[in-house]
Amino acid sequence: MNFLAASIESLGAKVVGWFTVGYSMFAFLVQASLLLLEPATWNRATFDVVVKQVYFTAVQILHVFLGYAMVISWLFITIILSTARDFGLTEFASEMTIRVLVLELLPFLTALFVALRSGSAINTEVALMRVNNELDALAHCKVPPMQFEFLPRLIGGVVSVVTLAGLAGLLAILMGYLAIYGMNAAGFEPYTRTIAKIFDFRIMAGLIVKCALFGLAVTLIPVTAGLETPKKLFMVPVSVLRGMMRVFFAIVAIEVVSLALKYI
Amino acid sequence: MAAVAALPDDVARVAPDLPLRANLSALDNIALIPLYQRHCSAAESVRLAQAMLERLGYADLSPLRDPDMTPAQRFATKLARALILRRPRLVIDHPGAMLYDVPYPAFIRQLAERAEMTGTWEIFDFGWNQALYRA
Repeated sequence: MNFLAASIESLGAKVVGWFTVGYSMFAFLVQASLLLLEPATWNRATFDVVVKQVYFTAVQILHVFLGYAMVISWLFITIILSTARDFGLTEFASEMTIRVLVLELLPFLTALFVALRSGSAINTEVALMRVNNELDALAHCKVPPMQFEFLPRLIGGVVSVVTLAGLAGLLAILMGYLAIYGMNAAGFEPYTRTIAKIFDFRIMAGLIVKCALFGLAVTLIPVTAGLETPKKLFMVPVSVLRGMMRVFFAIVAIEVVSLALKYI
Repeated sequence: MAAVAALPDDVARVAPDLPLRANLSALDNIALIPLYQRHCSAAESVRLAQAMLERLGYADLSPLRDPDMTPAQRFATKLARALILRRPRLVIDHPGAMLYDVPYPAFIRQLAERAEMTGTWEIFDFGWNQALYRA
Protein backbone atom coordinates (compact mmCIF):
# COMPACT_ATOMS: atom_id res chain seq x y z
CA MET A 1 0.00 0.00 0.00
CA ASN A 2 2.86 2.30 0.97
CA PHE A 3 4.58 1.50 -2.28
CA LEU A 4 1.45 2.40 -4.26
CA ALA A 5 1.03 5.69 -2.38
CA ALA A 6 4.71 6.55 -2.91
CA SER A 7 4.43 5.73 -6.64
CA ILE A 8 1.33 7.91 -7.05
CA GLU A 9 2.99 10.69 -5.08
CA SER A 10 6.13 10.50 -7.22
CA LEU A 11 4.09 10.46 -10.44
CA GLY A 12 2.04 13.42 -9.22
CA ALA A 13 5.20 15.35 -8.35
CA LYS A 14 6.58 14.64 -11.83
CA VAL A 15 3.38 15.80 -13.55
CA VAL A 16 3.30 18.97 -11.44
CA GLY A 17 6.98 19.50 -12.29
CA TRP A 18 6.28 19.19 -16.04
CA PHE A 19 3.40 21.64 -15.78
CA THR A 20 5.53 24.08 -13.82
CA VAL A 21 8.30 23.88 -16.43
CA GLY A 22 5.77 24.23 -19.26
CA TYR A 23 4.11 27.19 -17.58
CA SER A 24 7.40 28.97 -16.89
CA MET A 25 8.41 28.55 -20.55
CA PHE A 26 5.04 29.81 -21.73
CA ALA A 27 5.14 32.78 -19.34
CA PHE A 28 8.66 33.62 -20.52
CA LEU A 29 7.59 33.41 -24.16
CA VAL A 30 4.59 35.68 -23.53
CA GLN A 31 6.83 38.19 -21.72
CA ALA A 32 9.33 38.12 -24.61
CA SER A 33 6.55 38.49 -27.20
CA LEU A 34 5.04 41.47 -25.37
CA LEU A 35 8.47 43.08 -25.17
CA LEU A 36 8.89 42.53 -28.92
CA LEU A 37 5.77 44.60 -29.53
CA GLU A 38 7.08 47.56 -27.50
CA PRO A 39 8.73 50.17 -29.72
CA ALA A 40 11.25 50.97 -26.94
CA THR A 41 12.72 47.47 -27.33
CA TRP A 42 13.85 48.22 -30.84
CA ASN A 43 16.73 50.50 -29.97
CA ARG A 44 20.22 50.43 -31.40
CA ALA A 45 21.61 48.49 -28.42
CA THR A 46 19.18 45.56 -28.77
CA PHE A 47 19.64 45.52 -32.54
CA ASP A 48 23.45 45.32 -32.11
CA VAL A 49 23.12 42.38 -29.71
CA VAL A 50 20.73 40.60 -32.12
CA VAL A 51 23.24 41.04 -34.96
CA LYS A 52 26.00 39.68 -32.72
CA GLN A 53 23.86 36.67 -31.81
CA VAL A 54 23.06 35.90 -35.46
CA TYR A 55 26.78 36.17 -36.23
CA PHE A 56 27.77 33.74 -33.44
CA THR A 57 24.92 31.30 -34.12
CA ALA A 58 24.84 31.23 -37.92
CA VAL A 59 27.62 33.14 -39.70
CA GLN A 60 30.54 31.85 -37.64
CA ILE A 61 29.64 28.20 -38.38
CA LEU A 62 28.44 28.70 -41.95
CA HIS A 63 31.35 26.96 -43.72
CA VAL A 64 31.26 23.95 -41.36
CA PHE A 65 27.48 23.75 -41.60
CA LEU A 66 27.40 23.94 -45.40
CA GLY A 67 30.09 21.25 -45.62
CA TYR A 68 28.05 19.02 -43.30
CA ALA A 69 24.82 19.72 -45.23
CA MET A 70 26.61 18.94 -48.51
CA VAL A 71 27.88 15.55 -47.27
CA ILE A 72 24.50 14.54 -45.79
CA SER A 73 22.64 15.71 -48.93
CA TRP A 74 25.02 13.91 -51.25
CA LEU A 75 24.64 10.68 -49.25
CA PHE A 76 20.85 10.81 -49.20
CA ILE A 77 20.54 11.83 -52.85
CA THR A 78 22.77 8.89 -53.82
CA ILE A 79 20.71 6.46 -51.71
CA ILE A 80 17.38 7.79 -53.08
CA LEU A 81 18.60 7.74 -56.69
CA SER A 82 20.01 4.22 -56.56
CA THR A 83 16.87 2.90 -54.79
CA ALA A 84 14.62 4.67 -57.32
CA ARG A 85 16.63 3.14 -60.19
CA ASP A 86 16.41 -0.33 -58.64
CA PHE A 87 12.63 -0.10 -58.38
CA GLY A 88 12.15 1.65 -61.73
CA LEU A 89 10.86 4.82 -60.10
CA THR A 90 13.42 7.26 -61.52
CA GLU A 91 10.74 9.82 -62.47
CA PHE A 92 9.89 10.24 -58.77
CA ALA A 93 13.52 10.62 -57.65
CA SER A 94 13.63 14.43 -57.79
CA GLU A 95 10.37 14.83 -55.86
CA MET A 96 11.45 12.24 -53.31
CA THR A 97 14.82 13.95 -52.86
CA ILE A 98 13.25 17.36 -52.25
CA ARG A 99 10.57 16.04 -49.91
CA VAL A 100 12.92 13.97 -47.77
CA LEU A 101 15.85 16.37 -47.67
CA VAL A 102 14.53 19.91 -47.97
CA LEU A 103 11.24 19.54 -46.11
CA GLU A 104 12.18 17.08 -43.38
CA LEU A 105 15.75 15.99 -42.83
CA LEU A 106 17.75 19.19 -43.30
CA PRO A 107 15.57 21.43 -41.06
CA PHE A 108 15.67 18.71 -38.38
CA LEU A 109 19.46 18.32 -38.61
CA THR A 110 19.90 22.11 -38.65
CA ALA A 111 17.93 22.38 -35.41
CA LEU A 112 20.05 19.62 -33.85
CA PHE A 113 23.25 21.30 -35.06
CA VAL A 114 22.28 24.70 -33.61
CA ALA A 115 21.01 23.07 -30.40
CA LEU A 116 24.26 21.22 -29.81
CA ARG A 117 26.43 24.20 -30.64
CA SER A 118 24.50 27.24 -29.41
CA GLY A 119 21.70 25.82 -27.25
CA SER A 120 24.09 24.11 -24.86
CA ALA A 121 26.27 27.25 -24.71
CA ILE A 122 23.23 29.44 -23.98
CA ASN A 123 22.04 27.06 -21.24
CA THR A 124 25.47 27.04 -19.58
CA GLU A 125 25.92 30.79 -19.84
CA VAL A 126 22.48 31.65 -18.42
CA ALA A 127 22.93 29.11 -15.60
CA LEU A 128 26.34 30.61 -14.74
CA MET A 129 24.92 34.14 -14.93
CA ARG A 130 22.24 33.15 -12.46
CA VAL A 131 24.61 31.32 -10.10
CA ASN A 132 27.14 34.19 -10.15
CA ASN A 133 24.48 36.87 -9.52
CA GLU A 134 25.26 38.57 -12.84
CA LEU A 135 21.55 38.97 -13.57
CA ASP A 136 21.06 40.74 -10.23
CA ALA A 137 23.98 43.03 -11.06
CA LEU A 138 22.38 43.92 -14.40
CA ALA A 139 19.07 44.58 -12.66
CA HIS A 140 20.86 46.83 -10.12
CA CYS A 141 22.28 48.85 -13.03
CA LYS A 142 18.78 49.01 -14.58
CA VAL A 143 19.94 47.13 -17.67
CA PRO A 144 16.97 44.87 -18.48
CA PRO A 145 18.28 41.27 -18.78
CA MET A 146 15.34 40.28 -20.99
CA GLN A 147 16.16 42.99 -23.51
CA PHE A 148 19.94 42.70 -23.30
CA GLU A 149 20.51 38.97 -22.75
CA PHE A 150 17.47 36.85 -23.61
CA LEU A 151 15.42 38.44 -26.38
CA PRO A 152 18.41 38.78 -28.74
CA ARG A 153 19.19 35.09 -28.21
CA LEU A 154 15.61 34.09 -29.06
CA ILE A 155 15.56 36.25 -32.20
CA GLY A 156 19.07 35.11 -33.14
CA GLY A 157 18.05 31.43 -32.76
CA VAL A 158 14.94 31.79 -34.91
CA VAL A 159 16.71 33.81 -37.64
CA SER A 160 19.68 31.41 -37.64
CA VAL A 161 17.71 28.16 -37.90
CA VAL A 162 15.41 29.55 -40.60
CA THR A 163 18.30 30.88 -42.72
CA LEU A 164 20.61 27.89 -42.19
CA ALA A 165 17.82 25.43 -43.05
CA GLY A 166 16.98 27.58 -46.09
CA LEU A 167 20.58 27.60 -47.29
CA ALA A 168 20.96 23.86 -46.71
CA GLY A 169 17.71 23.31 -48.65
CA LEU A 170 18.94 25.39 -51.59
CA LEU A 171 22.22 23.48 -51.59
CA ALA A 172 20.33 20.15 -51.56
CA ILE A 173 18.12 21.28 -54.46
CA LEU A 174 21.23 22.22 -56.46
CA MET A 175 22.97 18.94 -55.61
CA GLY A 176 19.81 17.00 -56.46
CA TYR A 177 19.74 18.60 -59.90
CA LEU A 178 23.42 17.87 -60.52
CA ALA A 179 23.01 14.25 -59.36
CA ILE A 180 19.94 13.61 -61.55
CA TYR A 181 20.69 15.64 -64.70
CA GLY A 182 24.42 16.42 -64.40
CA MET A 183 25.85 19.63 -65.90
CA ASN A 184 23.04 19.72 -68.40
CA ALA A 185 20.43 22.47 -68.77
CA ALA A 186 17.92 20.05 -70.32
CA GLY A 187 16.52 19.03 -66.94
CA PHE A 188 15.93 22.59 -65.77
CA GLU A 189 12.32 22.80 -66.90
CA PRO A 190 11.02 19.48 -65.41
CA TYR A 191 13.06 19.99 -62.26
CA THR A 192 11.75 23.50 -61.60
CA ARG A 193 8.22 22.28 -62.36
CA THR A 194 8.61 19.57 -59.69
CA ILE A 195 9.88 22.19 -57.22
CA ALA A 196 6.94 24.47 -57.97
CA LYS A 197 4.53 21.55 -57.53
CA ILE A 198 5.93 20.68 -54.10
CA PHE A 199 6.37 24.19 -52.72
CA ASP A 200 2.84 25.49 -52.70
CA PHE A 201 1.92 28.20 -50.19
CA ARG A 202 0.80 25.75 -47.49
CA ILE A 203 4.02 23.71 -47.61
CA MET A 204 6.22 26.82 -47.74
CA ALA A 205 4.42 28.43 -44.77
CA GLY A 206 4.56 25.13 -42.86
CA LEU A 207 8.30 24.83 -43.50
CA ILE A 208 9.00 28.38 -42.30
CA VAL A 209 6.82 27.94 -39.20
CA LYS A 210 8.50 24.61 -38.41
CA CYS A 211 11.99 26.12 -38.72
CA ALA A 212 10.94 29.10 -36.59
CA LEU A 213 9.61 26.74 -33.91
CA PHE A 214 12.87 24.77 -34.06
CA GLY A 215 14.78 28.04 -33.61
CA LEU A 216 12.60 28.99 -30.67
CA ALA A 217 13.01 25.55 -29.07
CA VAL A 218 16.82 25.60 -29.29
CA THR A 219 17.00 28.99 -27.54
CA LEU A 220 13.91 29.39 -25.35
CA ILE A 221 14.30 26.03 -23.59
CA PRO A 222 18.01 26.52 -22.73
CA VAL A 223 17.33 30.07 -21.46
CA THR A 224 14.46 28.97 -19.18
CA ALA A 225 16.42 25.89 -18.01
CA GLY A 226 19.34 28.19 -17.15
CA LEU A 227 17.06 30.54 -15.23
CA GLU A 228 15.67 27.63 -13.19
CA THR A 229 19.15 26.70 -11.93
CA PRO A 230 19.45 26.87 -8.12
CA LYS A 231 22.23 29.22 -7.01
CA LYS A 232 24.76 26.44 -6.58
CA LEU A 233 27.69 25.98 -8.95
CA PHE A 234 27.45 22.18 -8.96
CA MET A 235 23.88 22.46 -10.35
CA VAL A 236 25.08 24.02 -13.65
CA PRO A 237 25.83 20.66 -15.39
CA VAL A 238 22.48 19.31 -14.15
CA SER A 239 20.73 22.36 -15.60
CA VAL A 240 22.45 21.87 -18.98
CA LEU A 241 21.60 18.17 -18.99
CA ARG A 242 17.91 18.89 -18.26
CA GLY A 243 17.78 21.73 -20.75
CA MET A 244 19.31 19.72 -23.58
CA MET A 245 17.04 16.74 -22.96
CA ARG A 246 14.04 19.08 -23.16
CA VAL A 247 15.41 20.61 -26.37
CA PHE A 248 15.77 17.14 -27.91
CA PHE A 249 12.22 16.13 -26.99
CA ALA A 250 10.85 19.47 -28.23
CA ILE A 251 12.63 19.12 -31.60
CA VAL A 252 11.35 15.56 -32.03
CA ALA A 253 7.81 16.62 -31.00
CA ILE A 254 7.81 19.51 -33.53
CA GLU A 255 9.00 17.16 -36.28
CA VAL A 256 6.42 14.48 -35.42
CA VAL A 257 3.56 16.99 -35.31
CA SER A 258 4.69 18.52 -38.62
CA LEU A 259 4.83 15.07 -40.28
CA ALA A 260 1.44 14.15 -38.87
CA LEU A 261 -0.13 17.39 -40.13
CA LYS A 262 1.37 16.91 -43.57
CA TYR A 263 0.86 13.22 -44.22
CA ILE A 264 -1.91 11.88 -41.96
CA MET B 1 24.58 42.32 4.18
CA ALA B 2 20.75 42.19 3.98
CA ALA B 3 20.54 45.85 5.05
CA VAL B 4 22.89 46.85 2.22
CA ALA B 5 20.97 44.81 -0.35
CA ALA B 6 17.75 46.56 0.73
CA LEU B 7 19.11 50.03 -0.04
CA PRO B 8 16.87 52.28 -2.16
CA ASP B 9 17.10 52.62 -5.91
CA ASP B 10 19.06 55.89 -5.83
CA VAL B 11 22.10 54.10 -4.43
CA ALA B 12 24.88 52.81 -6.67
CA ARG B 13 26.52 49.79 -5.06
CA VAL B 14 29.97 48.35 -5.45
CA ALA B 15 29.61 44.94 -3.87
CA PRO B 16 30.97 41.39 -4.01
CA ASP B 17 27.45 40.13 -4.81
CA LEU B 18 27.16 42.41 -7.86
CA PRO B 19 29.76 40.98 -10.23
CA LEU B 20 30.73 42.14 -13.71
CA ARG B 21 29.32 40.30 -16.74
CA ALA B 22 32.03 37.69 -17.18
CA ASN B 23 31.92 37.50 -20.97
CA LEU B 24 32.09 41.27 -21.50
CA SER B 25 35.21 43.41 -21.35
CA ALA B 26 35.61 46.05 -18.65
CA LEU B 27 34.74 48.73 -21.22
CA ASP B 28 31.57 46.93 -22.36
CA ASN B 29 30.45 46.36 -18.77
CA ILE B 30 30.57 50.11 -18.17
CA ALA B 31 29.30 51.15 -21.63
CA LEU B 32 26.13 49.08 -21.14
CA ILE B 33 24.76 51.68 -18.76
CA PRO B 34 24.69 54.79 -20.98
CA LEU B 35 23.63 52.53 -23.85
CA TYR B 36 20.52 51.19 -22.08
CA GLN B 37 19.73 53.90 -19.54
CA ARG B 38 20.43 57.07 -21.45
CA HIS B 39 19.92 55.57 -24.92
CA CYS B 40 23.30 56.88 -26.06
CA SER B 41 24.75 55.54 -29.31
CA ALA B 42 27.23 52.68 -29.09
CA ALA B 43 30.15 54.98 -29.95
CA GLU B 44 29.12 57.58 -27.37
CA SER B 45 28.66 54.90 -24.68
CA VAL B 46 32.11 53.50 -25.34
CA ARG B 47 33.59 57.03 -25.21
CA LEU B 48 31.90 57.74 -21.85
CA ALA B 49 33.03 54.38 -20.44
CA GLN B 50 36.61 54.94 -21.58
CA ALA B 51 36.58 58.44 -20.09
CA MET B 52 35.39 57.01 -16.76
CA LEU B 53 38.19 54.43 -16.70
CA GLU B 54 40.72 57.16 -17.59
CA ARG B 55 39.41 59.33 -14.77
CA LEU B 56 40.09 56.52 -12.31
CA GLY B 57 43.55 55.93 -13.80
CA TYR B 58 42.67 52.54 -15.28
CA ALA B 59 42.40 53.27 -19.01
CA ASP B 60 44.42 50.15 -19.84
CA LEU B 61 41.72 47.90 -18.34
CA SER B 62 39.24 48.35 -21.18
CA PRO B 63 39.87 45.10 -23.10
CA LEU B 64 40.15 42.88 -20.01
CA ARG B 65 37.39 40.51 -18.95
CA ASP B 66 36.58 39.74 -15.32
CA PRO B 67 38.66 36.53 -14.99
CA ASP B 68 41.74 38.32 -16.40
CA MET B 69 41.65 41.15 -13.83
CA THR B 70 43.36 41.45 -10.47
CA PRO B 71 41.04 42.14 -7.52
CA ALA B 72 42.04 45.84 -7.55
CA GLN B 73 41.38 46.12 -11.31
CA ARG B 74 38.02 44.38 -10.88
CA PHE B 75 37.14 46.79 -8.09
CA ALA B 76 38.08 49.80 -10.23
CA THR B 77 35.84 48.51 -13.03
CA LYS B 78 32.94 47.96 -10.64
CA LEU B 79 33.50 51.44 -9.27
CA ALA B 80 33.51 52.94 -12.77
CA ARG B 81 30.25 51.09 -13.48
CA ALA B 82 28.73 52.47 -10.28
CA LEU B 83 29.95 56.03 -11.00
CA ILE B 84 28.55 56.04 -14.54
CA LEU B 85 25.13 55.28 -13.03
CA ARG B 86 25.23 58.91 -11.73
CA ARG B 87 23.30 58.15 -8.56
CA PRO B 88 23.51 60.54 -5.60
CA ARG B 89 24.83 57.91 -3.16
CA LEU B 90 27.59 55.40 -3.68
CA VAL B 91 27.90 52.48 -1.27
CA ILE B 92 31.00 50.33 -1.18
CA ASP B 93 29.90 47.11 0.41
CA HIS B 94 32.48 44.97 2.25
CA PRO B 95 35.56 46.26 0.40
CA GLY B 96 37.74 43.71 2.19
CA ALA B 97 35.99 40.92 0.28
CA MET B 98 36.89 42.58 -3.04
CA LEU B 99 40.24 44.23 -2.34
CA TYR B 100 42.37 41.52 -0.81
CA ASP B 101 45.48 42.40 -2.85
CA VAL B 102 45.89 46.08 -1.80
CA PRO B 103 45.72 48.08 1.45
CA TYR B 104 42.17 49.03 0.76
CA PRO B 105 41.25 52.13 2.73
CA ALA B 106 44.18 53.97 1.11
CA PHE B 107 43.33 52.54 -2.29
CA ILE B 108 39.70 53.65 -2.09
CA ARG B 109 40.78 57.12 -0.88
CA GLN B 110 43.11 57.41 -3.86
CA LEU B 111 40.33 56.43 -6.29
CA ALA B 112 37.90 58.85 -4.62
CA GLU B 113 40.36 61.71 -5.15
CA ARG B 114 40.70 60.82 -8.83
CA ALA B 115 36.98 60.35 -9.40
CA GLU B 116 36.15 63.97 -8.43
CA MET B 117 32.64 62.84 -7.79
CA THR B 118 29.80 64.84 -6.35
CA GLY B 119 27.50 63.09 -3.88
CA THR B 120 28.47 60.85 -0.98
CA TRP B 121 30.53 57.71 -0.79
CA GLU B 122 29.72 55.33 2.06
CA ILE B 123 31.64 52.26 3.05
CA PHE B 124 29.89 49.36 4.78
CA ASP B 125 32.48 47.17 6.46
CA PHE B 126 32.80 44.88 9.45
CA GLY B 127 33.18 46.65 12.79
CA TRP B 128 36.50 44.97 13.49
CA ASN B 129 38.01 46.68 10.42
CA GLN B 130 37.40 50.18 11.85
CA ALA B 131 41.02 50.50 12.88
CA LEU B 132 42.08 50.31 9.23
CA TYR B 133 40.21 53.54 8.41
CA ARG B 134 41.79 55.54 11.24
CA ALA B 135 45.27 55.17 9.78
